[in-house]
Amino acid sequence: MPGSSPRIIIRGGTSINNPDGAAPLYIVDGVIRTNINNIDQSDIESIQVLKDAAATSIYGARASNGVVIIETKSGQSGKTQINYKYDFTISNNVEKYDFLDARNYIYFQRLGIYRSATWGNKPAQLAMLTGPTSAGTGNDLTNRTAYSVQYLSTENQYKLNEGWETMPDPLDSTKTIIFSNFDFQDVTYRTGITQNHTITASGGTDRATFSAGLGYMNSDGIVITTFYRRLTGHLNGEVKLNERLSFFGRVLYKNSHDNNPSAESTFGRSQGLPPTAKYKFEDGTYAPGQSSSLANNEYYLNTRVDKRIEDDLTMVAGAQLKILPGLTFDPQVSWWQTTIDSRNFQKAFWNGPTSYVVTRNASGAYSKYLQKQADAVFTYSKAFLNAHNLEAKLGFSYFDGYSTSLSASGRDAATDLIPTLNAAATPVSVSGAESEQVIYGYFGRINYNYKQKYLLSVNARYDGASNLGDNFKWGFFPGISVGWNLHKERFWSMLPENLLKLKLRGSYGVNGNISGLGAYTAQGTYAVGGRYGGFAVIQNTVMANNELQWEQSNTLDFGLDLGVFNNRINLMFDVYRRVTDNLLASMALPHSTGFSSTLTNLGSLENMGVEIEINASILPVTSELQWDASFNISTVSNKILKLPYNGVERNRIGGVEVWDEKARAYVWKGGLQEGGTMGDYYTYKYLGVYATDEEAANAPIDDLTPIADKKCYGGDINLADLDGDGRITTKDQVYAGNIYPDLTGGISSSLMYKNFSLFIRTDFTVGQTIFNYMRGSLIGQFQGDNGLSTELLRSWRKQGDVTDIPQFVYADQQVRNKIYRANGGNTFIYERGDFLAVREITLSYDLPKNLLQKVKISGLRINVTGNNLHYFTKFTGLNPEFGGRDYGRYPIPRNIIFGLNMTL
Amino acid sequence: MKNIFKILIFLPVASFLIISCTEGLKLEPVSQISVGSYWKTENDANGVLYGMYSRFRNTTANRFFWGELRSNDFGPSVGGEPIEHGPLYRNTLNASSPLPTWLTMYTVIHDANLILKYVPGITFASEDNKNSILAQAYAMRAYCYFVMVRTWGGVPLVVEPTEGYSEKSQRERATVEEVFTLIKKDIQDAITLFPNNNYPNGRFVWSKPAANALKADIYLWTGKRLGGGNADFTAALNALNDIETSDITLLPTFSRVFDYDNKGNKEILFAVRYMDQESGECGPYDQSFIHPQAMPGSNQLDDSTKIVLSGGRGYTYLQVQPHIRSSFSWMDQRRNASFKEIYTYVPIYPSGEKTYYTAIQVKFDGTFVSGQRYWYDDYIIYRYGDVLLMKAEAKNALGQDPTEDINKLRQRAYGDYFPQFAFVNGTKEENDAAILKEWMLEKIFEGRYWWDLLRFGKAFELVPSLQDKVGQNHLLLFPIVQATLSIEPKVVQNPGY
Repeated sequence: MPGSSPRIIIRGGTSINNPDGAAPLYIVDGVIRTNINNIDQSDIESIQVLKDAAATSIYGARASNGVVIIETKSGQSGKTQINYKYDFTISNNVEKYDFLDARNYIYFQRLGIYRSATWGNKPAQLAMLTGPTSAGTGNDLTNRTAYSVQYLSTENQYKLNEGWETMPDPLDSTKTIIFSNFDFQDVTYRTGITQNHTITASGGTDRATFSAGLGYMNSDGIVITTFYRRLTGHLNGEVKLNERLSFFGRVLYKNSHDNNPSAESTFGRSQGLPPTAKYKFEDGTYAPGQSSSLANNEYYLNTRVDKRIEDDLTMVAGAQLKILPGLTFDPQVSWWQTTIDSRNFQKAFWNGPTSYVVTRNASGAYSKYLQKQADAVFTYSKAFLNAHNLEAKLGFSYFDGYSTSLSASGRDAATDLIPTLNAAATPVSVSGAESEQVIYGYFGRINYNYKQKYLLSVNARYDGASNLGDNFKWGFFPGISVGWNLHKERFWSMLPENLLKLKLRGSYGVNGNISGLGAYTAQGTYAVGGRYGGFAVIQNTVMANNELQWEQSNTLDFGLDLGVFNNRINLMFDVYRRVTDNLLASMALPHSTGFSSTLTNLGSLENMGVEIEINASILPVTSELQWDASFNISTVSNKILKLPYNGVERNRIGGVEVWDEKARAYVWKGGLQEGGTMGDYYTYKYLGVYATDEEAANAPIDDLTPIADKKCYGGDINLADLDGDGRITTKDQVYAGNIYPDLTGGISSSLMYKNFSLFIRTDFTVGQTIFNYMRGSLIGQFQGDNGLSTELLRSWRKQGDVTDIPQFVYADQQVRNKIYRANGGNTFIYERGDFLAVREITLSYDLPKNLLQKVKISGLRINVTGNNLHYFTKFTGLNPEFGGRDYGRYPIPRNIIFGLNMTL
Repeated sequence: MKNIFKILIFLPVASFLIISCTEGLKLEPVSQISVGSYWKTENDANGVLYGMYSRFRNTTANRFFWGELRSNDFGPSVGGEPIEHGPLYRNTLNASSPLPTWLTMYTVIHDANLILKYVPGITFASEDNKNSILAQAYAMRAYCYFVMVRTWGGVPLVVEPTEGYSEKSQRERATVEEVFTLIKKDIQDAITLFPNNNYPNGRFVWSKPAANALKADIYLWTGKRLGGGNADFTAALNALNDIETSDITLLPTFSRVFDYDNKGNKEILFAVRYMDQESGECGPYDQSFIHPQAMPGSNQLDDSTKIVLSGGRGYTYLQVQPHIRSSFSWMDQRRNASFKEIYTYVPIYPSGEKTYYTAIQVKFDGTFVSGQRYWYDDYIIYRYGDVLLMKAEAKNALGQDPTEDINKLRQRAYGDYFPQFAFVNGTKEENDAAILKEWMLEKIFEGRYWWDLLRFGKAFELVPSLQDKVGQNHLLLFPIVQATLSIEPKVVQNPGY
């Protein structure tokens, strides 16, 4: 989506329910944030990522998923500089599904419906062949049918002159079908254009510095009707009153306005409106498609308004006081407020060709989050005897997050002209909510080093949070780290100078996490808002759990930093083991309790991994051509150590009972179980497609086939009967990979020659398995009327065909169910999601200074950047980047950016 | 000295910041109610009472799956066969079928258990109101267990609200007899506690007559299926006779019982209330209609069909099966009030060839909101028709003459044609067969026909999709689905699955 920020997960996260949701803690200019959506990239001065627990434990609570510290730009003393930046971005969707054209669609769909009806003994379904369906001949040229397919007649043959085509009916070759062909992806996507202007002024004197900036971005998304407009501004200033006291203040503001219709129906389904659907009716108006969830997007998206305005204001004020030599006091207060205003409106519209909906649903919502923070830190630093260096910190932190929201909806407006709620004639609902969270923290840190040779850091934090159980509000989070700079030792001088630098590091720390915990979850909930027979209802929806306590992760980390050839090659190596105890997670409950789950401290999870980063300046400093390259790679693996007792072997939660060939017995696999890992897939094993009926004659009986005839035939997928009992049951499932990657990393390289520079960045992911539901759906027609995959062109059609794609049948899950399998598929649609992405290539050129001086410009750089240029992958879906389960997604656009950066 | 002075200035600042403030961490929620602060007043009791009904309403579609669909009165229609329907009307269930779990039922039981635990400790302005709330909770709990015991056999018995998770939350299944012991105790407590024999406004909650109907239903079941014999039939008959003294009648026109604009009419004992802006649609009924996409061209339909099919919403999944349709005489007004056969005239009405398309239920046909059809029909739990049928059934079981009760229904159904359809007392078996058929004609699509077939022991005989499965008696119960087995390890699968 335009305007959304990247997903960042540090070291695999610590969440057992949703590892992808384990976002790190962001601290922007000292203000804790849950995301960085609203930060303009060009305002960022520096980003620091803290991974090891000794470093993060001073952030104590909430730091167990790592900490990202961002400083925004501030002024420097000296001449005032004016900087102007401009980017022009062209975005395109290069990820489209390969759908069959209308001719092939009709061919497969009609045969598929016929097979489905006859195999399943469902004669009623044959009516689809003659009805007004996507391949049925009951359509006509009126506005009452969504599709073009019909038999050729004297009334409609003139359409042949307008581009319609004909084909023999695959079920009765004596009849001729006439149809139109249209790819609705073409009208869903467009070329997106983004323009981004930023102007910054900064400067100052010895006593005061400032930085001020304004930015404006206007982005039209690659999906029609979507846009994102953003205004950003910042103002930072710092004043030194005297040698002892200085004050600073920062203001960061953002306002954005966007229109983003619901993603799922647009991208999961509507782009798959069959090619036989009418794009326009005979009278020239847009045809609506089959329904709002399988719509002609050019019609439907233009009947909706999904407006969202977001304001984001951060204000920070602070001071630094030097009380004594070496002793300083740093107080800071901040206020962060975000408000979201949104409204949605559905104009009167055709929900399919026969249903004109005038409900005109309208809704409006307003929500505000207000965060107050106060921090005060005493710092004392002192060097003794030219050898001992000491720094001590002691601080207090107060955090108060307050949310409030209001929303209302209505319907039955008399007009499309007013999208706001005042036009609604019938009020439907109102809602409002308020919640608050308070966290107190005390923290301290002592850093000590002896001649920069031996380093020691001890820190601790004591945090109390309002949303934990009454007796468990406080948590203690200590950390310790040690370092040894070997190159500072005397014996190191045996080596040639600057040849090799080596530092060894070790750390251990404890972090907390309560990110998944609602403000009042521990107290349980009696929820309100519903009605029964006009009476207001109250329902006990959340069980109280006063035992809820801090999730704690203990991390042990060893690392080394190596510098070779005067630091021309640097290597950083880390290996870590993190054990998270008291995981805050939702635990499935026995259904007889009346609750599906409760939030609890669920057990222990171990994450282990290795991280390597290498940076090299390949050519000597003296060379006119400079070439820097860097490479990083990290591995992470997880293991569940402990789960709460539930009477099941290994306290397993969920999972499937399957045949285990080694044990020659049925064993529960998957789900969550002690000693197991998270994210294992289990599914039916695809062995191929039966070439002939004879080959399939001895196939096992398939229990998951819903129709009466559970035998297999030529053209069916051959699924493995793993336990050899002659039947395919839920027990015939095998391990089909893991949802999480084993390896991630990146390679980048930059070349500089005179005023030119070229930067290339790639990243890669190895080891993740993607459940490619969309692939299954497009060859199994799960939805009923959806575009079909071109893979069907090589599908099994007659006895003896040897292929990997089964014979097409309409709505596989209702017939032999070989692909759908209770939404678990079979191994054919579980694919390796390994990829290498060419993320960025930038070529930039700095105009010569002497030329610029004549026009009083101190610097001018122009660049052209390509973004998301190519993915090297064997994944057959649109994009492997999101991993997980692919039910259709917002595509990642390819961007070409032209940039200009001018400094006066 | 000067430095020490400076430090002294900062000490108060520091101490202000470093006060231990656990008190400041105790926040009370504003927009929701914490568990600890609940159960103080009569309002709290009423809130959860209606909350219980609201969650009971959420189970309607599931109960229709359990109580009706396996009778095979419906089969696949033009829209195909949703995977959650097929195994039910085809009777091809197994543990991996996509069936609803018992979670939603236990959620309603949890609400009832909360009421039964906490309401006795609350002071009410009127003791009658308090007893009425307790009575409703007992009746609801009895009904929920009665649904479950007929669906799975013995189930875990939970009689206390779940207020925390412990090892005790893992329960084994009780025996069928144990479950019925609780059901019978609960329904008796309910009947005793109801302060009067009146129906609350709208008839969308339990009342004493409705509890008596449930009692009769329970005792007929145990009388027939668990060998309770005459004692149980007599208990059933007595309960039914108590209902007669309440404000209940047979509406003169059958179809009016189900009309949207006639909710809570005098034939209803208890129906689950559905309303626009308050609930979703009444689960199963929109499934047996015609999806706009499957709608034949309007020039291919006759006028009466066009009217029935107006409204632009609904699905074409459930088709009324031939053996049901052929059971109704054209002289029976219940026929047109229960289903409609849809014919198309190809290529054009009226000259075209008349072709059968599908058959849909029309007993519950919803209402119109902004020109669109919505199935906000009430879901009937008991009505006077049930009372008469149960009476006939109990009387016949006791060797008494059921003619009067059956004929009340037939007089309404056949009107002027009644004489040729008047019930004539026969042998016990003949009467039973006639009574079961009457259950079907009178109550089809109301969510209980499968249970009626089970009670009479006629499922393998009368359900087309079971006729080739004679002897597979495990099919009379549902399997316990994988989703339940995987998190309730003490629960054992029903034999045969």
